[in-house]
Amino acid sequence: MAHARPIATTRSATGIPTPRLAVWWILASEVVIFGGLLGVYIMHRIGHPEWAEAASHTQTWIGAINTFVLLTSSFTCVLAHQAAEKGNGKEAAKLLGFTILGALMFLMIKSYEWTTEIIAGYTITANTFWSFYYTAAGLHALHVIAGAIIMGFIAVDAFRGRELHRVEIIGIYWHFVDVVWIFLFPLLYIAK
Amino acid sequence: MADTVADVHQHETHGHDDHHHDQGWVSKYLFSTDHKIIGMQYMFTGMFMAVIGGYMAYVFRMQLAFPGISVPGFGQVSPGEYNALITNHGSIMIFWVAMPVLIAAFGNFLIPLMIGADDMVFPRINRLSFQVFFLSSVVLLGSLFVEGGGFGGAWTSYPPLSASGDYNQTHLGASLWLIAVALEFVAFLLGGINFITTLMNSRAPGMKAYDIPLVCWMIVIASILFMLSVGPLLAGAVMLLFDQTLNTGFYDPARGGDPILWQHLFWFFGHPEVYVVLLPAIGITVDVMATFARKKIFGYKMVLYTAVATGVLSFFVWAHHQFIAGIDPRMANVFTITTLLISVPIAEMLFVMIATLYGGSIRLTTPMLWALSFMAEFLIGGVTGIFLGASGADIYFHDTYFVLAHFHYTFFPIAIIGTFCAFTYWFPKMFGRMMNDTLGKIHFWGTIIPFNFIFIPLFVLGMGGQHRRIYNFQHFPEIAGPEYFQLRQLATIALLVMLAFQLVFFYNVIVSWMRGEKAGKNPWKANTLEWTTESPPPHGNWPVDELPTVYRGPYEYGHPDREEDYWPQNLPG
Amino acid sequence: MSENNEHNGEHGHDDGHHVNYFKIYLLLLVLFIISVVGPEVGEFTGLRWITLITAFGIAVVKARLVVNNFMHLAWEKRIMKWMLASSVLLMFLMVAGISPDVMNHEGNNWENVAAKAEVERGLAYAAGYSSDEAEDEGEAEVVVAAGFSAATSYGQICATCHGAAGAGDGIAGAALDPPPANFTDPAFWADPARDRDRVITVIRDGAVAVGGSALMAPWGALYTEEQLEQVADYVMSFRPDA
Repeated sequence: MAHARPIATTRSATGIPTPRLAVWWILASEVVIFGGLLGVYIMHRIGHPEWAEAASHTQTWIGAINTFVLLTSSFTCVLAHQAAEKGNGKEAAKLLGFTILGALMFLMIKSYEWTTEIIAGYTITANTFWSFYYTAAGLHALHVIAGAIIMGFIAVDAFRGRELHRVEIIGIYWHFVDVVWIFLFPLLYIAK
Repeated sequence: MADTVADVHQHETHGHDDHHHDQGWVSKYLFSTDHKIIGMQYMFTGMFMAVIGGYMAYVFRMQLAFPGISVPGFGQVSPGEYNALITNHGSIMIFWVAMPVLIAAFGNFLIPLMIGADDMVFPRINRLSFQVFFLSSVVLLGSLFVEGGGFGGAWTSYPPLSASGDYNQTHLGASLWLIAVALEFVAFLLGGINFITTLMNSRAPGMKAYDIPLVCWMIVIASILFMLSVGPLLAGAVMLLFDQTLNTGFYDPARGGDPILWQHLFWFFGHPEVYVVLLPAIGITVDVMATFARKKIFGYKMVLYTAVATGVLSFFVWAHHQFIAGIDPRMANVFTITTLLISVPIAEMLFVMIATLYGGSIRLTTPMLWALSFMAEFLIGGVTGIFLGASGADIYFHDTYFVLAHFHYTFFPIAIIGTFCAFTYWFPKMFGRMMNDTLGKIHFWGTIIPFNFIFIPLFVLGMGGQHRRIYNFQHFPEIAGPEYFQLRQLATIALLVMLAFQLVFFYNVIVSWMRGEKAGKNPWKANTLEWTTESPPPHGNWPVDELPTVYRGPYEYGHPDREEDYWPQNLPG
Repeated sequence: MSENNEHNGEHGHDDGHHVNYFKIYLLLLVLFIISVVGPEVGEFTGLRWITLITAFGIAVVKARLVVNNFMHLAWEKRIMKWMLASSVLLMFLMVAGISPDVMNHEGNNWENVAAKAEVERGLAYAAGYSSDEAEDEGEAEVVVAAGFSAATSYGQICATCHGAAGAGDGIAGAALDPPPANFTDPAFWADPARDRDRVITVIRDGAVAVGGSALMAPWGALYTEEQLEQVADYVMSFRPDA
């Protein structure tokens, strides 16, 4: 390590460990990014009754399977945190591995879903509903990809018993990605 | 680019004794994780961008005052180039000058020093933040030279004009501009989270919430405001980028979209953004005033609470930019009231400044002059804003030069005066040498006087009906008379004078940097923690076992029980 | 690894949060099943509020469960709860301020003509859509082709510059140089080279393809060959002698 950690990082005037404090702030900024997008979508959805027709073409069952996959990955992630708290790095790494697997499954299902939709002619330009559909789900998928990559690094570290506190941090982020999907699912798939 | 220049300078001054250091100068100055170096990188990039923004102002002011002439150093200005110049002047001055210098540069430099920490809590994220910012400035400058020219749809980038290259004729320029702005937001989100967590968690032992110098509070409150307001616009920018590149129809009515939506998203961020840059400037001036009036700030908690109140209120005023954009008229009433309300906390802060000065033993040093002029000039900007905030009057003033003069009277004090105030005040700490006071004062008067001569004529022109964003006023007979052109020429000549006086500043910086008088630890006899370490502070700021402990508030000047008129925060007892 | 120890030490305050994660997970799954089944019930009984409550009410409950138990916000210091709550509240403020303009298309003394036209256009399109769908048993690709109308597409894309009646007087066209072609002008069609094939080429590849102005952009990516022909025929129908 080229850089020794500064003393500043080890201080904790608020009582919240610095990494956790930072991830909460990141989530606050993510709340307004997703909140802005979804708020705008909801307003448009109410103002455009004709979108009901477009929305009826989304594939509820695929969305449901993906919800299940993300919920489960969230569960394995929280178990990884539990293991890390007990100092069991190998167990934590294994559970993080399951979470990454969940993320990959989510992305695979998503790409299958998008492929069928694009082939059927529902591209991002087909209608403003579809533009919102791809933008919101795409932004979420980007977060899934980023989370999975970071989780990979943390899992490798955890396996060697290093930086175990990071398991909790990525967990908080991952649960947030799950929460965003919990709202995207009814918005894009269920409310027809 | 700019930071390379800066780094070369730094290398020249400090380089010789660093050669035996275990780091090469590339890793020390280009890829450093030290908060002070990153602050400098932000500052010199910002100053480089300010020079470009100033050059743009020079070119289009020449075109406005003397339509059709070949501008020395540029050539003839075509309408497309004129639009690109005004658009990028606005974007650069706000996103690439005010933000990086006031928040990122001084935030990085001051926050760890003022709270007694050895660095930011996440030094590598800090470095990443600068790298993203630097990339964004390269993309922005690059967008000026692509096929079709730079984006010319104003810094607000309203659709439908911005939503399609077919409308604005700058396919690549518009998209690059948007990408640059989005990257810049990302950089400041990273930096902002770093500032917030640093201030919350890494304060020196003994430093309670009310012992934090106001400038740190202000930068952090500004970062929170930025972080909370920029989200919807970031999502909105992605949508606009899709409109431009993938042909979606979020904002283009011809494709089923809603252009007003962009205006809302933009100003939901854009108005808090005004306070994002204003608060650090107020923090800087308040700190400087307390030091040079040798007096405790009148109402520390008052300033802090007012800043929070300003922050909260700033989220309730955004639609006053859209009174004539076709928004719901009932909403216009609400936003008029909130807009007039927000002048109350701002006025309160100015009263606090005046009360701090009252009865103080004022020393008119260069930083103090800048702080005083901030108060005076910002007052004009604030008061003219009241006309514009009233929706009835705004129908007539909207998009005239009155608006333009108004926001320059707010942004110039914030971004330029605030920066000069902070720069001259902390220059001894940054470089270890004093700035030349005579040259500093020449530069001060040479900036302030022409500044008023630029913008007071523009108020008059605005009330005469002169509209913004017009390439050549000769085409509009009712405002093409000689009396109008004389005012335009007056403004342009004043601008030339002001730009010329900036050379004094750069000369002063270089000369003082090379040969200025050694500053010592605490040249201004100030209380805050940054003055307790060496100038310039070493890596880690203080020796590891001598990190300061805090015993009192930052503004204990002229305490009756003490012989000296200042009482540093870290002195026990 | 002193930091890890320190960190674990800091965990002292939230010792109480060792909830049974498996129980929470099962609860989430049950809620999830309700949220999927709910809309079916809502559709079956025709009660829309069932859909809305099961979809969004349950989303809120699920989010709360995850945030409190998995993210441990319930045991976090109050300041972060306030911060996150205010960022959520802020979004409500944003929606409240924007919705009068974006959600409604008319009010006391105002009307958003473009948005209303868009809704009408969409509803008409959807009506045509579903009748086609009934015939085709939902085969999406065919439905899209059948739902295509040259007139609608012209109205959405071409009319911006060429005008709704083809007179070259669209809103966006006013600023263009050279001005957009006026299809109602006999002089425009006087050139015998301007036949149907050439119109198709220009729509597909832009006017540059035939040596014209770059301002007439290529639109080929938006249409199938068949649709291109329909749009071309629609453009040709503006011909004064047609």
